[in-house]
Amino acid sequence: MSPQFVDFNADGHLDIVAGIFDGSPHVALGSANGYIQPVQILDQEGQRIVLNQFWNFETKKWDATTRCDPPTGELPKGQCTSAFAWDLDADGDLDLLLGDYTGGVLYLRRNEGTATAAKFATRNEPVLAGGKPLMVPHKMATPRVLDFDRDGLQDLVIGSMGDAYGAGEGGAVYLFRNAGENGAPQFGEPTVLVVPSTKGHVDGPVRPDAGLYMDVADFEGDGDLDLVVGGYSMWQPKAPELTDAQKARVKELRAAIDETSKAMSAIYQAIQKAVEGLDEEAASTRRKELMAAKQDELAAIGKRNKELRTELEPMSADQKRESFVWLYENKAQAPAAPVRRP
Amino acid sequence: MECSHSKSPALVVAGWLSLLPLCAQGADYAAPLRLQAGDGFLGAGRLYPSPVFHDVNGDGRIDLVVGDLVGHLTVALREPGDGPPRFGKEQTLKAVDGQELDFGNW
Repeated sequence: MSPQFVDFNADGHLDIVAGIFDGSPHVALGSANGYIQPVQILDQEGQRIVLNQFWNFETKKWDATTRCDPPTGELPKGQCTSAFAWDLDADGDLDLLLGDYTGGVLYLRRNEGTATAAKFATRNEPVLAGGKPLMVPHKMATPRVLDFDRDGLQDLVIGSMGDAYGAGEGGAVYLFRNAGENGAPQFGEPTVLVVPSTKGHVDGPVRPDAGLYMDVADFEGDGDLDLVVGGYSMWQPKAPELTDAQKARVKELRAAIDETSKAMSAIYQAIQKAVEGLDEEAASTRRKELMAAKQDELAAIGKRNKELRTELEPMSADQKRESFVWLYENKAQAPAAPVRRP
Repeated sequence: MECSHSKSPALVVAGWLSLLPLCAQGADYAAPLRLQAGDGFLGAGRLYPSPVFHDVNGDGRIDLVVGDLVGHLTVALREPGDGPPRFGKEQTLKAVDGQELDFGNW
């Protein structure tokens, strides 16, 4: 998800807008007493806002649709996992930018209503950069909009996912400067704010390498824009020098971890076999019953697995992959005057 | 101040401002600092942490709100003081119903 604090319905209270992994934008409306539990943001016909891939709550499966595709043009598969409310067309109400996790494309869902009575269009429009659909490599994590270079125009800053598990290129943060005007932005090729991770770090985390969800603000109050970036760091620890006894223990631990994994897998497989042939509703009910019956056993296996891994970790040189949040402090002096185009 | 980004081979910009180094546009980022909250690292153990700057308690200091893949939100309040930023322990963001604010309906 990619939370944004914004007065989405123009009632004077800050709301939280977020795209989540089900493929749709949601909002937690603010009130005088706090936030109300999130709901889906719907279009003007009361339909879910999606790209062309989404989680179907009725069938409980991933699903696809062309219902919201732009009228023209072939589009890659897209799943909305990030959203940002922004008055792109400067007509006084908030439109929605939809970030595509799968293809890395940025879409617009235009608000054809008003600031207090939104009516979102029924189809997505690709946001353009250089006349083509704006796209970042290796999937999109989240878009943000702000006047980055202080020229009075709203620019786009976008974090990318990168290869989240393997050795492929990692995530990055890109700036798409607005060379048009407010209400009719024109974005060009991106500037790289955080270079794509090449990974290969040794002996400790040095940066976010994959899944770069970020935000931009003058965090230090010194007049320039800092970045905060969440994501996974990946690194290769130095191989420890082990005694013969430790080497033997490592072997035991790996075997024991393998056993716990097999035991857990066997339980899940047995449950799956038990619900085969049942209709969707009956299968769901039976699956919950069986999971409840095995809950304590699964918890015990999980606890044992964690204990074994904790003991193994200092003796292992296995690649590490852990999530953190990082601050990129801006050391540049803010532009003394707005940088205007000729 | 030296502009390290002016040496970056990855600098690609469209339009006439492409001739300007990134630092001249107001950006020259220091090496990233891994943030702590309380006794631990901020976002540790979360699935795809997504941080957002926001002054949650209105004290004039920008705090951090962190979302994640499963739809949970935590708040880490920035503590006063000079030097590297310090944050209090992450706390769950609650809704008006007293329950955890939960975006994870899938």
